[in-house]
Amino acid sequence: MCEQRARKLSDDYRERAVQLNIFDCSIWLGSPEGFPLAREMLFKKLEKEMSDFFITGGLISHWLGKTLSAQAGNRDLEEKAGMFPENMYGIWTGLPFYPSPSGPGPVPGKGRPHRSMRGVRIFPASHNYVPEEWVIGTLCEWLIRYNLPLFIWHTEINWPSLHRLAVCYPSLTIIVETQTKKILYHARMLFTLMRECSNILVETSNFSGQGYIEYVVKEFGAERLIFGSFMPVNDPLVPTGMIIDADIEEKDKLLIASGSIKRIIEEVHL
Amino acid sequence: MSTPRIIDAHLHLDPNSKFYTPEPQLKHLLKLMDRLSIRHAVCTDHLSMYEGAGEGLRNLKSVYEESGGRVYYLGVYHPGRAAACMKTIEEAVLWPGFAGLKIHPSFHGISADAPVYDPVWKFASEHDLAILTHSWSVSDYNPAQTLSTPGKFERYIDKYRNVRLVLAHAGGRGNGRHEVIRLINQYENVYTDIAGDIFCYRLIESLTGSISPDKILFGSDFPWLDPRANLARVMLTDMDNSSREKILRENALKVYKIGK
Repeated sequence: MCEQRARKLSDDYRERAVQLNIFDCSIWLGSPEGFPLAREMLFKKLEKEMSDFFITGGLISHWLGKTLSAQAGNRDLEEKAGMFPENMYGIWTGLPFYPSPSGPGPVPGKGRPHRSMRGVRIFPASHNYVPEEWVIGTLCEWLIRYNLPLFIWHTEINWPSLHRLAVCYPSLTIIVETQTKKILYHARMLFTLMRECSNILVETSNFSGQGYIEYVVKEFGAERLIFGSFMPVNDPLVPTGMIIDADIEEKDKLLIASGSIKRIIEEVHL
Repeated sequence: MSTPRIIDAHLHLDPNSKFYTPEPQLKHLLKLMDRLSIRHAVCTDHLSMYEGAGEGLRNLKSVYEESGGRVYYLGVYHPGRAAACMKTIEEAVLWPGFAGLKIHPSFHGISADAPVYDPVWKFASEHDLAILTHSWSVSDYNPAQTLSTPGKFERYIDKYRNVRLVLAHAGGRGNGRHEVIRLINQYENVYTDIAGDIFCYRLIESLTGSISPDKILFGSDFPWLDPRANLARVMLTDMDNSSREKILRENALKVYKIGK
């Protein structure tokens, strides 16, 4: 009898997870850094892993873009782009446009962005520059030109810089990612920033403070939340569970799980 | 949702200004528990974490009553205030809703293997109580976690074989997990919970594949984290439903002797 109840609950969760039609903006290839128990996810296992977690599409990033060089990560994505499963695209790693970086990647004056590119991530702390207008302004203008969103881990930037960047480039979509540590101690700054700057969105892999999903939906709207798993470091079932049981309307759950990011990448013009 | 049966075996009450929580109070917790089919919870409060058992513990007695017997509580033993804590805990052991003891070596700054913990282990042994302890891995950005690595508890685990010890957070996000697995497989009186942001990839699979499902408890760490984050992991990870029932309910009943 007890087992039957557990089975019913589990089946119910499973059904609701499938209905979300999850599009994941934080799927990672390459060797993770800083997580001793995490293992690299092989490209050939990507579809199986996604399927295990009810993920139907997403954006792929490469750890080498952080740990070694933007170029190394972008090169790997470029090589694999032709083999991406349907409904999969890449987030490439960006650098300041001056002094001019070598490719592959976002490079000024070297033609259009790669066809697989649906976003650019920067690592200012790891790559030793400040994310201020006078350093990355031309990169930001390039992103705006193609309607490409900028992804950034909150651990790679300080909050005053992020605020200045968001104010300086209001038409640049900035997706603040909740890695590599949970966003909890920073929530007051994050929520204030979201109130001040409508171009700030949040990725959800580590956005697990009590009631945070409901709070953001109520204060700012569901379109400000973007599903991310950070697999294979984090468990995709964490952000999935936060949506499944959220006390919000079904249409808002779908926006968070896939609708918001799909709209953003549909508006990318390459 | 079906009749509430789940037990959240690790949470906290009241605000902590280190972070923002929209709804940290008991009424919010109860509403959330109803929504998630959680029947009972085992909690400590933030005041007790700072001061040890005292005024906070007396407040929790009221919480148990206000919650209609749904929210049980633990007495926090602060080794820096050992005598005062033990005095309150000795009173509280007879109170309705008192479910066991809690220690947090990292937060209290005294290593888990220090002699000053012996009184609380001895008390637990004499009163058939469980101890919930923080446990974690060595951390490069939080050196205090070294005080709570699972192996540091072994001295007392071995000495007090009748005390049920719950190593919280499955030993953290690093190699502490391996120590937790070793201790659980070696000692009958050791358990773990999945509370907190140990969001490691396929963690639940890793645990159920390495230790008996009789040894794993569901916990949230509310309000530091939302219970929904960990609940879905138990619901959606492939395992037999007997194991799921144990993790979500049966093991907590057995360890804390609650809900009868």
